[in-house]
Amino acid sequence: MPLGNVVEVHDLVKFFGDVRAVDGVSFSVRRGEIYGLLGPNGAGKTTTIRMTIGIVTPDRGEAYIMGYNVHKEPVKARSFIGVVPEISNPYVDLTVWENLMLVGEIYCVPKRIRVKRAKNLLKMLKIYEARNRKAKVLSKGMRRRLLLAMALMGDPDILFLDEPTSGLDVISARMIRSHLLELKEQGKTIILTTHNIDEAGMLCDRVAIMNRGKVIARGTPEEFKIRFGEYARILLCFDREIDAKLIRKHFDSYEVIVQGRRLAIICRSKDLRDVLEQIVQVTNEYSLSIEELRASGLNFEDIFVRLVEGLG
Amino acid sequence: MRRLQFLYRIWVLCLKDMKLYYFKGPTIVMGILMPLFVWLAFVAGRGFSFTESLPALITLASFFASSSITPIVMPWEARQKSLEMLLSKPVTIYIVLLGTALASSIFGIFISSVLVTIGLLLNVIPRDLISLALGIAVSSLCYSFMGLVFSAIPSDVPADAVMLSSAVRLPLIFVSGIFIPVHSLPHYVKPLAFISPLTYFSDLIKNAYGYSSLLSPSIDVIALLLLTIIFAALALAANKRTLTRRL
Ligand SMILES: Nc1ncnc2c1ncn2[C@@H]1O[C@H](COP(=O)(O)OP(=O)(O)OP(=O)(O)O)[C@@H](O)[C@H]1O
Ligand SMILES: [Mg+2]
Repeated sequence: MPLGNVVEVHDLVKFFGDVRAVDGVSFSVRRGEIYGLLGPNGAGKTTTIRMTIGIVTPDRGEAYIMGYNVHKEPVKARSFIGVVPEISNPYVDLTVWENLMLVGEIYCVPKRIRVKRAKNLLKMLKIYEARNRKAKVLSKGMRRRLLLAMALMGDPDILFLDEPTSGLDVISARMIRSHLLELKEQGKTIILTTHNIDEAGMLCDRVAIMNRGKVIARGTPEEFKIRFGEYARILLCFDREIDAKLIRKHFDSYEVIVQGRRLAIICRSKDLRDVLEQIVQVTNEYSLSIEELRASGLNFEDIFVRLVEGLG
Repeated sequence: MRRLQFLYRIWVLCLKDMKLYYFKGPTIVMGILMPLFVWLAFVAGRGFSFTESLPALITLASFFASSSITPIVMPWEARQKSLEMLLSKPVTIYIVLLGTALASSIFGIFISSVLVTIGLLLNVIPRDLISLALGIAVSSLCYSFMGLVFSAIPSDVPADAVMLSSAVRLPLIFVSGIFIPVHSLPHYVKPLAFISPLTYFSDLIKNAYGYSSLLSPSIDVIALLLLTIIFAALALAANKRTLTRRL
């Protein structure tokens, strides 16, 4: 295992019946980085994470955490990690505090440290006041923070978070994101999956984009932006609603998004002239007037969609 | 060190299960009320004295209590979505299952001990306390692993596992020499009696309370140990097999 890689995954394959959920996924994660697995629903992200942490046995391939093969030495390998699975709960009939103590005991943390660590985590994650409440009465956001605290009870080097912010309101999601950046500052390595492309662009040092069980692209968010630098996104707002079908016919060789009065067109920079001419033509033909026009590079979400739909 | 941590984690999870499952509805119904009703219906109702029917009550209570928790834990935790959270910690499925099996058997040991103590207070004194204690300990573990086999059905409805385990447990009590002596069973159910742990335990307990028995206590204990190993292996393998389907 090369120096500095804390997680190494080689050629993982998993079938569920005839469904090829994961099809030859490899990646490695360096110490201290935030690594993102992105992909549409059913891409195989959760299955990849489950195989990487050793709770699903792959049909082929291997995963190493801190140099330990997770399927040969699962307990040792998992003692270095904290995990928040995609859909998971604390023990709902135990209190917040009891949940943390239980996990601390599983990580074999001595009592004195356990208590101190639990207090610090609860305070950091702002659920200290709820420590004596049963987990079942917590709100979704608090529950997610409790799960994060539980994942941190063993003071792990590496965190695996499957969709850490899905289903949370904007404020709770921001709170989780800022905690993740804080944890990165403390030197922890974080591996996360998300649907939220903006989030990945903000948080991740590197990402792998998955589709249908395969990694279809990888790199830093900036590299993706450079790679797609030749593309431009034009944003228009007309004075009234437009007919999506008609508009699409005019711009059939480009990716077009129509929403009410708004129109977004993604094209190569070299075609910009043609596109603008078309716009003028359309505007005249339907006697529209343009209230707003902006051109920019692609954002990470545009890039993601193009990659997943095989457009770039 | 590793072995110690292995045992410590089993104990921690056992305590968790004790806290979470001893007072759950299915545990109370299947573990305490069920043996009591069966005993009332088939033994006490027939005019036997408490002294005479205590061994049967201990046999039934230890059987139902020890096998009442193991079937429900896996389906329950899969349903609550805490199973994956637990398995992502430094444990294996085996540690989790052994913790549950231990909690379930301790429940059986506790209930049986209460009954033995009540007997002592009422002057029903066993003549062989050591083999009685050993028998209760081993058979509780055996029943507990037997219950764990049923938890492997890949359902996250605890009632399914309870139903399946009851479908096996109820008939077993009628072929294991508790109400009908094994030698007067029809020949086609005798093999069942032979593989039922209950047969050996009820034999052992009869002996311990001074009634006539079929086998010597040491043979009963050895048979129970063998069955424990078989059920444990079955339970661990079966639950591991169906684990992916639960997640
Ligand atoms: N336990 C399972 N049994 C059967 N099929 C499964 C199982 N887990 C996943 N799959 C299938 O494997 C494929 C990949 O699923 P997975 O959950 O890994 O995707 P994902 O990228 O995490 O999706 P999402 O973004 O919706 O969470 C899907 O087709 C899914 O139906
Ligand atoms: Mg997923």
